Amino acid sequence: MLTALLVFLPFGFGITDYIIGKKSEKTRNSFAVITTFIELALSVLLLLTVIRGGASSLLNLDIPHVFASGMSLRADGFRSVYSLVTALMWAFTTLFSQEYFRHEPENLNRYYLFVLATLGATQGVMLSGDLMTTFVFFEILSLTSFTWVMHEETQGAIRAGYTYLFIAIIGGLVLFMGLALLQYETGTLMYAELPSALSARHAAGSGRLLAAGICILIGFGCKAGMFPVHVWLPKAHPVAPAPASALLSGVLTKVGIYGILMTTVEVFLENALFGWTVLILGTITMFLGALLALFSVNLKRTLACSSMSQIGFILTGIGMTVLLTAQGAGETAGGTIVGGFSSLGHHAAMAMSGTMLHMVNHSMLKLCLFCAAGVVVMNAEALDLNEIRGFGRNKTLLKISFFLGLVGISGVPMFNGYASKTLLHEAITSGIHEAGEGAAITLAQAHDLHVIEWIFLISGGCTFAYMLKLFICVFVEKNKDLRKQEVFDKAGKSYMNAGSTLVVFGTSILFILLGQKPVFGAIASLMTGHAGVLEEFRPLSFECISGGLISLGIGLFLYLVFIRRVLMTRERVYADRWPAWLDLEELLYRPLLTKWLPAIFGTILSVFGENKVLTRVCRGLMMVMTNTVPQTGEDRLLKKAAFMVFYLFAAVLKVLSMGTDALIMLSRKTVLRERVITGKAQGTLSFFHKKRDEIREGYGSLTANFSFAMMFACIGMLLILGVIVFYIVRR
Amino acid sequence: MRNILIIIAILLPILGGARLLVSAPKSVPGKRIWCEVIACAASVIVWIVILGGPVGDFTVYSFTRGYRIAFQLDGLGMLFAGMVSLMWPFVTLYAFEYMGNAEHKNVFFAFYIMTYGVALGVCFSANILTLYVFYEMLSLVTIPLVTHYQNSESMYAGRVYAGYVIGGAAAALITVMVTTMYTTPSFTLGGHSFHELPENFMLLIYLIGFFGFGVKAAVMPFHRWLPTASVAPTPVTALLHAVAVVNSGVFAIMRLTWYVFSPQHLAGTWAQKVAVTVSFVTLVLSAGRALRERHFKRRLAYSTVSNLSYMLFGVMLLNPAGYTAGMAHMLFHGVIKMSLFLCAGAFMHQSGRSYVYEINGAGKKMPLTFTFYTLGALSLTGIPMLCGFISKWNLLLAGAQAGTVYSYIGTACLIVAAFFCAIYTLSVTLRAFFPVSDENRWKGKELTDPGWRMLLPIGIFTAVNVLLGIFPGPIMDFLGKIAAGVI
Repeated sequence: MLTALLVFLPFGFGITDYIIGKKSEKTRNSFAVITTFIELALSVLLLLTVIRGGASSLLNLDIPHVFASGMSLRADGFRSVYSLVTALMWAFTTLFSQEYFRHEPENLNRYYLFVLATLGATQGVMLSGDLMTTFVFFEILSLTSFTWVMHEETQGAIRAGYTYLFIAIIGGLVLFMGLALLQYETGTLMYAELPSALSARHAAGSGRLLAAGICILIGFGCKAGMFPVHVWLPKAHPVAPAPASALLSGVLTKVGIYGILMTTVEVFLENALFGWTVLILGTITMFLGALLALFSVNLKRTLACSSMSQIGFILTGIGMTVLLTAQGAGETAGGTIVGGFSSLGHHAAMAMSGTMLHMVNHSMLKLCLFCAAGVVVMNAEALDLNEIRGFGRNKTLLKISFFLGLVGISGVPMFNGYASKTLLHEAITSGIHEAGEGAAITLAQAHDLHVIEWIFLISGGCTFAYMLKLFICVFVEKNKDLRKQEVFDKAGKSYMNAGSTLVVFGTSILFILLGQKPVFGAIASLMTGHAGVLEEFRPLSFECISGGLISLGIGLFLYLVFIRRVLMTRERVYADRWPAWLDLEELLYRPLLTKWLPAIFGTILSVFGENKVLTRVCRGLMMVMTNTVPQTGEDRLLKKAAFMVFYLFAAVLKVLSMGTDALIMLSRKTVLRERVITGKAQGTLSFFHKKRDEIREGYGSLTANFSFAMMFACIGMLLILGVIVFYIVRR
Repeated sequence: MRNILIIIAILLPILGGARLLVSAPKSVPGKRIWCEVIACAASVIVWIVILGGPVGDFTVYSFTRGYRIAFQLDGLGMLFAGMVSLMWPFVTLYAFEYMGNAEHKNVFFAFYIMTYGVALGVCFSANILTLYVFYEMLSLVTIPLVTHYQNSESMYAGRVYAGYVIGGAAAALITVMVTTMYTTPSFTLGGHSFHELPENFMLLIYLIGFFGFGVKAAVMPFHRWLPTASVAPTPVTALLHAVAVVNSGVFAIMRLTWYVFSPQHLAGTWAQKVAVTVSFVTLVLSAGRALRERHFKRRLAYSTVSNLSYMLFGVMLLNPAGYTAGMAHMLFHGVIKMSLFLCAGAFMHQSGRSYVYEINGAGKKMPLTFTFYTLGALSLTGIPMLCGFISKWNLLLAGAQAGTVYSYIGTACLIVAAFFCAIYTLSVTLRAFFPVSDENRWKGKELTDPGWRMLLPIGIFTAVNVLLGIFPGPIMDFLGKIAAGVI
């Protein structure tokens, strides 16, 4: 009941809001805020019910016979916490958008409609009890969130919107394929039933199962921003409005993660191959995102690439969970298939809690950081680092919030990112320790894990470096343009209102809270369903601290040496050193779709009937028919002769027209060198063109009476039918 | 009694349409009422018959021993007849507004209504000979509709159309004659084994029939007539070239495959391989071709080519799941493509433009039309909560169930084609609602949504699209029963 309310209420209120918005803009804005806060209250209620072990009628909902295989909503620790995070993000961003959109109040009706609809769909995903429900809401939110990217309707926004939409659709379809394979393989898509359904048939079709898994991974990965389908992420964020960016990066990427995580836990928990795939893709995403962020000179683009990198961290955690479980099962000589959160071993549960905590942390961090970026945008109306340099020099609250975001995301001890990153690091090291011959992680693979560990640490360092770059640029350095700096300094306290302050500063206080062991320990136990999972975890032990410090050290080194020396010019200007051609989308995806595939299809098609040969034959035959039907000569010989004459005439015309066609084609390609013959060029038609048109006119008039002949044929057929009716009646 | 009703349902539109040719009502409302009443009456009769359950086979005329004109009503016939009869009255309503200023309206509506009767004849036919007769008549009565505008372009289209469909029917006639010689009189699910014939000869005959009837279902080498024929008035392209005519081709192939030849005997043979390959090649290539097409209706026509092959792919998997999915796609694609074509027609009628790049910005002026269009486009792509998803889902499951190399390649092609579909349909939506500002052609120009006669049918088809997408249960159960031979 409660879950259903959480999912469907925003849809209804969104439409109401749209209707209100036609009348009054003010009421619409407050109504949207109220809706999101109602949602927040509901999800708090849901969380409390889950903690108290409330009635399942409140938490669960099944609607059979809709879509392909019914629909179900469930609430447990993980789901309800994420439902709360979602509602919180929405409430805060909607509050923030009140001030943000004051300077560009266009298309807001549409914006609020789709924001609220997406809220419902996101809750639908987060509370879904089967993959089909996940998929349905996933598709809805892909399409509704697309309008956020397009919101400003500039050239750049539209281009980014196209990329976002088509990646979303590719993802949806690949996922669709994966679900169909999984459904066929297991006969169910209910998360709770998948593990048991699997054990019966696993041995027979593991290849197909893996194919299904890869499809699902890529499908959800499209939304999560996983390499190689991350291309929309760095493009969509800079053009989207800041509150929308916060949601895109804070929640919508987690929707993809939710799908990957649930599928992994319920289906592939013991599949080491799948685990490696996720781990490697996660590592690439993590490193690539960090690298892109390092090079970026745009505030929101940096944050977007950072999101991608953090998603990589989360994927690494998921991959390690699988490997550690597989490792445990290998040692106990199992072969029994496990699934679900309850079957995680100790190490795996630690890895899983790291993953989940990092999800929550990243959502919160990106809420704060993107809203802070929004404050910059609405005051300075620029995103380029050189233009906004020195913006926050005397804006204390903003500075503190951003600083807390910086220390949170880069994993400084005692702040929230540190705990989750350390847990993820622990997962990798315990994988290395547990490696052994014949197990899921062999000794040789332990070396690979070492490499991954170092990439992990370097990526963490990059995080520190690019966040430091942003912080020092915006809050410490002075702008090169002194007049601009004066304007920035004069803004004083009027740069954000009370609501925005609550959002930006209030969220940043959470980072300290979430960094304390009792808090994150309790959250981890609730989310993974393993009570006291983090009891043995000592965040301030030497091993943990040293891992964190290595990472921070790398970061400081990168900042001082790489960013200050290489990525800045001698005049101390931030330069975009990333080669422009090195862009997966421009390099591969767009040409593939707009040039290569059409060319291939065009070639094949011209072989298969798209050339006009068959059409010409048909037309010629019809012409002969047309010209012989109206003849009424008594003499059969005459008829035959007439037929022959017409046939010859038609054949000659045919040859002539085809011949001229061929000649024209030849001349176009060689002598005339024309590309397109437009209607305007009538006067300049060549001799061949004119001749061809004359000939066409000639035989065109011969065949014009054809449809009358056909009408007669129809009438004849109808007469036959009349006779049939006559027979029936006579009987 | 119900036998007579079936014959009335076929004859009523034919005679009612013929009356318009002989002595049409003088006033415009009179003509409209006549057409609408005929269409609705026939639909009501069809539904009375359908709701009464199946009707056994009865002969109306026997040429000679075994060769007879006979009607019956079984599950597949119910599906096709129910679908056609629900659509015709609405599209007729749409046609009144669309053809408002056109010439030769009498001729147009005469053949338009007559086609309804002939299409019902195809649905109700009880053996392949009857099917063939009505199938051929369907080709003939629709030719004047294609050539309606009487300009050189539509005359050319008419000739191409006639050449293809008559040629295809001629090929099908070979199969019709041979099978009629060896089979029992009426369609039964499971078909006949044809053990009297050498196996390869039987398969050859089957393939000739497949390609012969496949001309109307626009399988690859014979698909060109469909885009060419899209010069016809939109009600014709929508109802005939997205539903009635092309689906009669698919319908005939379903009859041939499942009711004349037996799926067990065809499964695993080279004939099946050829047919499956042709259908998945068609579905992906024509979707790719639609990407390059700039004419709005022709692009949708290529999309129809692609979607018809989805159905054929389902049917040619030769398992009940695939057959069910094929039938589901026949129904759902009909609903979706109808709404898409009607939206395209609404745009062309209101603006006088017909190319995709001329749509830039039109969505803000015609919000309802393009919202309906978007829902149709999403459904065709296979977005859940809309009905196109259900049939694609079942096709994929059936493909996985068949488990052959061909079916896996086919399902992969299906996904690729669905992606192309997203691009070629949604790019229209994007142009309409989110034009790049300097290319907004309709800014400050006069352009509005069409009147209720055009919007109502579009709205209803869209509503059906959504409803079937959310509650597909009853329909899918019904189709499952057809495939199992219960109905």
